[in-house]
Amino acid sequence: MATKSTREAAMRAIQELAREDDKIVIISPDAVAAARATKFREEFPDRVIEVGIAEQDAVDIAAGMATTGMKPVVVSYAGFLTMRACEMIRTFVAYPGLNVKLIGLNGGMLGGEREGVTHQFYEDIGILRSMPGVKILTPADAQQAYEAAKAMMQLEGPAYLRLGSGREPEVFPEGTPYAFGKIREVKSYGDDVAIFASGFIMDRAIAALDRLHEEGVNGVLVDVSTVKPLDTEGVAAVLRRTNCAVAVEDHNIYGGMSSAICEAACHFHPCKVLRMGLRDVYPRSGKASELLDAYGLSVQDIVNTAKAARE
Amino acid sequence: MTNEELSRIANRLRLDVVETVHDAGDGHPGPCMSIADIMAVLFFDEMKLDPQNPRWPERDRFVLSKGHACPILYAALARKGYFPLEELKGLRSLGSFLQGHPDMNKIPGVDTVSGSLGNGVAIGLGMSRGCKMQGIDNFVYVIVGDGEEEEGIIWEAAMAAAKFEAGNLIVFADLNNHQSGGKVTELSSLYPVPDKWKAFHWHVQEIDGHDIGQIRAAIAEAKKVTDKPSLIACRTVKGKNIPYMEDNNAWHKRVPTDEEVAIAREALKDKI
Repeated sequence: MATKSTREAAMRAIQELAREDDKIVIISPDAVAAARATKFREEFPDRVIEVGIAEQDAVDIAAGMATTGMKPVVVSYAGFLTMRACEMIRTFVAYPGLNVKLIGLNGGMLGGEREGVTHQFYEDIGILRSMPGVKILTPADAQQAYEAAKAMMQLEGPAYLRLGSGREPEVFPEGTPYAFGKIREVKSYGDDVAIFASGFIMDRAIAALDRLHEEGVNGVLVDVSTVKPLDTEGVAAVLRRTNCAVAVEDHNIYGGMSSAICEAACHFHPCKVLRMGLRDVYPRSGKASELLDAYGLSVQDIVNTAKAARE
Repeated sequence: MTNEELSRIANRLRLDVVETVHDAGDGHPGPCMSIADIMAVLFFDEMKLDPQNPRWPERDRFVLSKGHACPILYAALARKGYFPLEELKGLRSLGSFLQGHPDMNKIPGVDTVSGSLGNGVAIGLGMSRGCKMQGIDNFVYVIVGDGEEEEGIIWEAAMAAAKFEAGNLIVFADLNNHQSGGKVTELSSLYPVPDKWKAFHWHVQEIDGHDIGQIRAAIAEAKKVTDKPSLIACRTVKGKNIPYMEDNNAWHKRVPTDEEVAIAREALKDKI
């Protein structure tokens, strides 16, 4: 499967928008290269605020700029933003509802892979989901990341875009639609079981759906590309059809998309929803595909869990 | 406005704080008193503000990094005409817009959230960059406590501000040598403060933070420096001019009794 960089795609979108809106600036705690913002810096050298390796400072500076009407985009690794600068996001961006956008790199095991635990981040969504007013976007491939970045910049107020390593598989065909705040049925063989998936693990979810079909289980795959606000009506409508589901994500099983699906299910259509993610452990360094297999997120694991959800 | 007039305003604000915390039954009076003179100069002489249009884009910006001293900020805003004085007694109560720490959306005249210590310089730097990039010719004033300079982000921001040659950023350090848990000099090795800011390439002045003339002169000097952010290190007394509060950290957070309010009124009656 071809790979394209979600990082490059998202930054391309922001660079295009920056040509039309001179209030858009990048705030970088030494993350220009990591965020693939070098082209942005070449075109807009005065609109990259490089603060050095200082994520807390970056978020506070962004907050201060936003109070003056600027539209700062803070780029950094997902955990350095959401954990090291957690309180700055919560108190100085989310609480006053300032128009600060956050782009987190290395989301999940897939993102951090060989770097090890210090650079793998599977808590970011849970942390941000607990903060009132922060919107969370988790596109599944580069083309969707491009669309998600554009959509995010149109939103008023704080939002977080979760990106990965920059080596994500292209999973959707060219021209696949994107809508902020809505789930999307990727593929449907029937209503035996729903697979909710988000982010760069989507290729495995697609493969699992197909394998289930081959084995006589006809399910539906749903892309949850906005984790907050969750499209609860859409989720409930799917669950009313299937009455069971599995929710798959590259995040700890607490606090992320799968938690959000379970919360929605409890409220709108109680039924069996099995969560799949990192099972509350710290993994190891390793190649992305090997890591996912080793920590219970192989295609076969998804197939088995989907079958278990129907029992 | 004369120095004498500004000094009287500072004392008026001090008494407002005593009365506000008494009436509200909660708040931090002591930390307000050490910055009263700086507040008087900023709000009643120096800053370009429009109380009728609190979000006027061209205005100077103010960040009370030591946000727990907000009773004096609220008093200054009320006396500037941002909202009626009688609102002050609502401080920290559910029906009031006067939050326990500053809130930029609920309180007219407040430019940022503050209260979580150490963040004011970075936020002020963001304001300074944002204004500059939009061609707004103004200054951003920040008041930091000394205790909060123990926070690492203060020095992250100090580094960045020097790099950006943020000449429109003027920070007052309120050096009253007290923090919640005791003497700053006993809890940390922060002092001497000015040396550290000098090492971070800031333009640094040291003054008596209760001398109106020195405060005004220091601001005028700081405004002349266009290629460096400015730090005005202010020697101050926590609880200044309220006899039982002076240099007494018990008043970091404490509510004056009726009798203590009367003592404060008596002490300040000829100075207002």
